[in-house]
Amino acid sequence: MPDAAGWPARFALAWRILTYDKGRTALAVAGVLLAILLVFVQLGFFIAVPRGGMLLYDRTRFDLLVASTGYEYQVQPGAFPLSLLDKAKTALEVALAAPLYFGSAKWRSGEDGKAPDVFVIGLDPQDRIFESEDINRQLAILDRADTILVDSATRPMFGELTAGRIVDIDGDKEKIGGDYVLGTGFMGLGVILVSAENFARLFPYRQLSQVNLGLIQLKPGVDPDGAAASLRKLLGSDIQIFTRPELEAHETAYWTTRTSVGLLFGSGLMVAFIVGVMIVYQILATQISRQLPQFATLKAVGYADGFLAATVIIMALLIVLAGFFPALAAALGIYAVIREETLLPVEMSGTRIAAVFGATIAMAAASALLSMSSLRRADPADLFG
Amino acid sequence: MIATAKRAAGWRPAGFVPLAWRNLLANKPRLLRSSGGIGFAVLLMLTQLGFERAFFNASLEVIRLLDGEIFLQRASKYRFATKDPFPARDLESARAVAGVASAWPLYADWHHVFWRNPANGKDYLVRVFAFDPDQPVLSLPALGASLADLNGIDTATVDRRSRRFLGMDSPPAAAELNGTKIKIIGSFALGPDFENDGTVVIGNRTFAKLMPGPRGGSPDVELGVVKLIPGSDPTAVQRAIAAAAPKDLAVLTKAQLLELERRFQAEVSSAGPIFVMGTLVGFIVGMLISYQIIYTDLAEQQPQYATMKAMGYRTSYLIRVVLEQALLSALTGWIPASLIAILLFRILGEMALLPLHMTVELAVVSFLLTLGMCLISAVLAVRRVILADPAEVF
Repeated sequence: MPDAAGWPARFALAWRILTYDKGRTALAVAGVLLAILLVFVQLGFFIAVPRGGMLLYDRTRFDLLVASTGYEYQVQPGAFPLSLLDKAKTALEVALAAPLYFGSAKWRSGEDGKAPDVFVIGLDPQDRIFESEDINRQLAILDRADTILVDSATRPMFGELTAGRIVDIDGDKEKIGGDYVLGTGFMGLGVILVSAENFARLFPYRQLSQVNLGLIQLKPGVDPDGAAASLRKLLGSDIQIFTRPELEAHETAYWTTRTSVGLLFGSGLMVAFIVGVMIVYQILATQISRQLPQFATLKAVGYADGFLAATVIIMALLIVLAGFFPALAAALGIYAVIREETLLPVEMSGTRIAAVFGATIAMAAASALLSMSSLRRADPADLFG
Repeated sequence: MIATAKRAAGWRPAGFVPLAWRNLLANKPRLLRSSGGIGFAVLLMLTQLGFERAFFNASLEVIRLLDGEIFLQRASKYRFATKDPFPARDLESARAVAGVASAWPLYADWHHVFWRNPANGKDYLVRVFAFDPDQPVLSLPALGASLADLNGIDTATVDRRSRRFLGMDSPPAAAELNGTKIKIIGSFALGPDFENDGTVVIGNRTFAKLMPGPRGGSPDVELGVVKLIPGSDPTAVQRAIAAAAPKDLAVLTKAQLLELERRFQAEVSSAGPIFVMGTLVGFIVGMLISYQIIYTDLAEQQPQYATMKAMGYRTSYLIRVVLEQALLSALTGWIPASLIAILLFRILGEMALLPLHMTVELAVVSFLLTLGMCLISAVLAVRRVILADPAEVF
């Protein structure tokens, strides 16, 4: 009995139709692959941009971030009194409260006589705030007067970054003590680390009693949320305290809603998805119209509409699944290239794979739905028309 | 006219369009599908190309608005939006050069002026331009104010196309800049770029109060804007100014100033490659879709093509029919896609406050890409016709 035919029968029919014309199916899979790849790429940027903005946070060690109430994002942090950090140190939960000073200066030793802006991070070299022990070890060199460490991702327009080179920063002579690997994110074209004392010399109008950010490391076993609550009580309402998840939510919201990034890559994402639907629909509709007499015959011998619809859905799923996995592999390669070229931290994650997989299934469903109307044209009577 | 018509009629045996046109129209649902499929690929290319141009144009917009022919700036200035000013007296040397009608300063700051939104009391970094209100060196678009009012101390005009969280879109009567109360005397419509959320334009006296120069003197100049006496040779004047000005100043034409900025953006921003990649994907996807369509069509019409061959039509004629059909399907995809893009650009441009426009250049580039993708796929699929064997019909 046709209606008793189980899923294996539907699957077998879908498989037969797809493998009947291998060239055409291969073409469809290639198209779907590209569309899924595009979804991966757009999504990659959508997520990479906030990540680029969080680069410094991602690569420093802290449990709570203390910032001014005027804090916008990393490069526009506002300032608050150092005394509040000293007060935070007195709390039992706190192991370290490290001040960070941010400034922008002219690097007057660029290529072709140009003076690019360099982002200056001032810190206490005693505070081991970086994830990378390599950087923490190197910090000792900053105790020497007028010595800087340069981020290795600093752009070529800054000239050679070799240790020992003397450069002019805002009219001061500074010696490059070495370079470190962290990344410049959206901090600027070039980033340097200096000691707080050196920072004060570079920016004479800045007072070290006003800090831009405070990184708080808690003692082992302390719950960050609880500590944040008690510190908020201790330090008052002139500052805000972010836990790691709160900070991530804040930065992501900033980059996706305050800048054009969300709209740009969001709309790219949508167009890529629609293109994927169009491709799958295209191939399904063609196959259905080519097999219309056969479908009509099946109907004539008693197969229900549901059977044929299920067959079409299976075809759609087979096509997108065949496209998904090579697209994933290609996306991994493209992410690596983008990381190299744009220095943005574009990385693949489990959730991202799952999200694109979900979108892929939706692509198949949408296109199968669209092609149902072609299926309805399968009229047994036409066979003898 | 008659002659051309006759020639066209005489050319008819080859028949431009009719057969290809009929083929295209033969299956209406398929035509709809094909124009939809190709159209979306075109739309993808158009949005990516449009975004790329919007990205670059947003940062070039202010430079285009400068009202002058020749510009002086620090030679070390590597891009427009960076503070690298020079003493105002250095402009004197340019004023003395023959052929120069005027040389006035533009003051600017990108990183030190905060605007307090009166609606929520929060401070936001804004970009500030300043000039002598009697010598406006920047043509503010859709200016709804009298510039003379900027002569009053602590007055400002604001950009009503700034990002909305700044609260400038319906300008308040007063606000604060760096803690100083400022009277808003009107607004203009410029728009943000990728680094600046909003723009405030003030008079030179307000700027001097807000951002006093070194040792409290008059502020340094970001850009010297030179206007020429009509009829003077810009290249000669440029050379003469360069010879007269201090060596640490660069003397540039507007084209050179734009080029400097364009090169900087292309060199450091990731935007270029991102959008090129998107365009490429659109192209390949479009090619696949149109190949699929043409291939199916040819497969279905194979008996007809074989019959025509048997009747004596040459293969070259049949190939031409296929190419014409590809051209037509390119058009049926491109036209709706361009119309949708015009609408989409308008909506997204307003939402993102970006200069997203359907330009002639964009239309031409996207059409050539569409044509390219349809013709390439036609060439790939046409083997089917060449191989059509009359004997197969039977």
